[in-house]
Amino acid sequence: MEEQVIYHPDFFAIPEGEGKPYLIAFHCAGCGKTWFPILPYCPSCWSNQFEKIALHTGKLYTYTVQNTPQAGVKAPLLFGFVDFPEEGVRVGAQIEVEAGKVKEQLKIGMEMQVIAGPIREEKGGKQVISYKFMPAV
Amino acid sequence: MNQREVYIIGVGMTKIYKKAPVSADELGRQAIYEAVKDAGISPKEIQSIFIGEMGGLSGSICFGQRVCGTIGLGGVPMANVESACSSGAIAVHQAYKDVASGRCDVAMGIGVQHLSGSRTAGTGLAPDPSDPEGIQGATMAGMYAMRAQRYLYEFDATPADLALVAVKNRRHAANNPYSSYQKPITVEEVLNARTIADPLTLLMCCPNADGGAAVIVATKEKAQQLGSKLVRISASSLTSGIFRNDFRDMTEMEITIRCTQKSYEMAGLGPDDIDMVECHDAFAIGEFLYYEAMGFCKHGEGAGFIRSGGPDYGGKVVFSPRGGLLSCGHPTGCTGTAQIVEATWQLRGDAVARQVPDCKAAITHVTGGGVYGLDNAACTMHILTR
Ligand SMILES: [Zn+2]
Repeated sequence: MEEQVIYHPDFFAIPEGEGKPYLIAFHCAGCGKTWFPILPYCPSCWSNQFEKIALHTGKLYTYTVQNTPQAGVKAPLLFGFVDFPEEGVRVGAQIEVEAGKVKEQLKIGMEMQVIAGPIREEKGGKQVISYKFMPAV
Repeated sequence: MNQREVYIIGVGMTKIYKKAPVSADELGRQAIYEAVKDAGISPKEIQSIFIGEMGGLSGSICFGQRVCGTIGLGGVPMANVESACSSGAIAVHQAYKDVASGRCDVAMGIGVQHLSGSRTAGTGLAPDPSDPEGIQGATMAGMYAMRAQRYLYEFDATPADLALVAVKNRRHAANNPYSSYQKPITVEEVLNARTIADPLTLLMCCPNADGGAAVIVATKEKAQQLGSKLVRISASSLTSGIFRNDFRDMTEMEITIRCTQKSYEMAGLGPDDIDMVECHDAFAIGEFLYYEAMGFCKHGEGAGFIRSGGPDYGGKVVFSPRGGLLSCGHPTGCTGTAQIVEATWQLRGDAVARQVPDCKAAITHVTGGGVYGLDNAACTMHILTR
C-alpha cells in the first residue's frame, strides 16, 4: 500500500464502518456563528467556546476546472465551493466526477456530498488525504 | 485631522518585460533615476522612501536598502512594504501619508518585481499551501475562474463578453511602448486560446512580468516651486480583507466596494467625474467586477457595459488605457506604482497615442493576495486629479 498522510484530521472525519465522511464545523457558543475549519477564537466575538457540528451535504455554489496546477497536484483539477445552507458555511475543495464528464455531471446548485480521498502528492510520493466533494448519490 | 494636500512631482518606470535584461535591484534604480530626473530635484531632497516588492521574491531581505544604497539614497527613513499585488501602491500610500501628515515635504514610493527570476517563475500564483484552499490546489486563476463561472450563471454574460476585455486592453496596449504585449488580438483568438481555468483562457489571464516604477510626492508649495504640471493625489486609500466563511457573493468585490466608497469620499468625487481607471485586471472577469464596484454600471451589467463601449475611448470612462495587467503583464509588486505613473502621464497630457482626451481625474486600483476567508487580502486605490 502507498504511504498516506491525513491533512488536518481535525477538519473532517472518516467514520469506521458504514458511515459517510463529514466535515467538522465549529458553532460558536458566544455569538452563534458557525466556522470551518477550527479556529482558536471566533473572529466575530473572540469566544473560544465551540460546539462541533457535522457537515454532510451542501449545494454547489461555483466550480472550475484548473489546467495549470500547483506542484504536487495533477491537472486537470476540479475545484468548487459548496454551501451548507443550514449551518451558514461555505467550503472550497476538490471535486470528483467521472473523468471527461464535468459539464454533464456538474451543475451550479446541485447537491454535493463530502468524501475523503487523495488531494495531492508530497515530494517522495506520499499521498495527502483530505476531504473532497462529489455529486450526492 | 488636518492633512496637507499632496502632489506628484516626479514619476518614472522601466518597460514592463516578459523577462527583464537586468536584475530586480537595477529595475528599481532605473525607475528611481527616471522619477528624480522627471521631478528635477536632487536625490538628496527625498526625505522618506518606501519600497513595495511581493513577499521577498527577489530573495533578499531589506530589498529597498539594497536598491537605494548604491545610488546614495541612504540616511533617511526607509521601509519595505508587502501585500502581494498591492505592494507598490502601498509604498506610494505611505509616501503620501508622510507628506500629508507633515512628517516630511518630499517622499518616494517604489514598486519593483522580477518574477521571471524568482522562485515562482513558470507556475501559476497560488494561495499559501498552508491554507485550506491552497492545500487543495486552488490557484489565483482558479479563484477568479470560479467568480467568472458564477457571474456567467447569474447574469447576462458569456465567455465572448469576457474576451472583449482582453481584446480592448490589447488594442490599448498597441499604443503603449512600456507594455509586454502589443500585438492586437481578436475575440476568436481569446476564446480559442488554451483554457487555464474554465471559463478563463490564457489570454484572459495576465502574464507574469518584470518591472520597476517610482513616484515622488511633495507638498503643493514644492510642486509649484518646481513648475511642473500639477497632479494632485486627491485620495489615497488602503484597506484589508474581512474574514468570512459564510455565503460571500463572489460576483461582487466587497473589498473594492469599500475602498471605492472611501476614495470617492476623500476626493469629493463620484464615478461621473472619473475619466480613466487603471484597475487590477489580473483576470478578464476582474474588469466587470470593478466597473460595478466603482459605480460605472449596476451589479450584473458589466458585460452590457463593455458591449456598448462604456469602458473604452469615446465611452463613459476609459478602463486600462495602458493595456492593463492583461497586456502590460503583471510584475506584482510593481504594478500598483506603474498604474500611478501612467495616470500621472495621462493627467499631464503626456500619454501620446493612448492619451485619454481631456483627462481630469483618474483612478488607480490594485487588490492583492489570496488568503483563506478574505475577498482579497488588500485593496489600494488612488484618485489623481489635475
Ligand atoms: Zn462568536
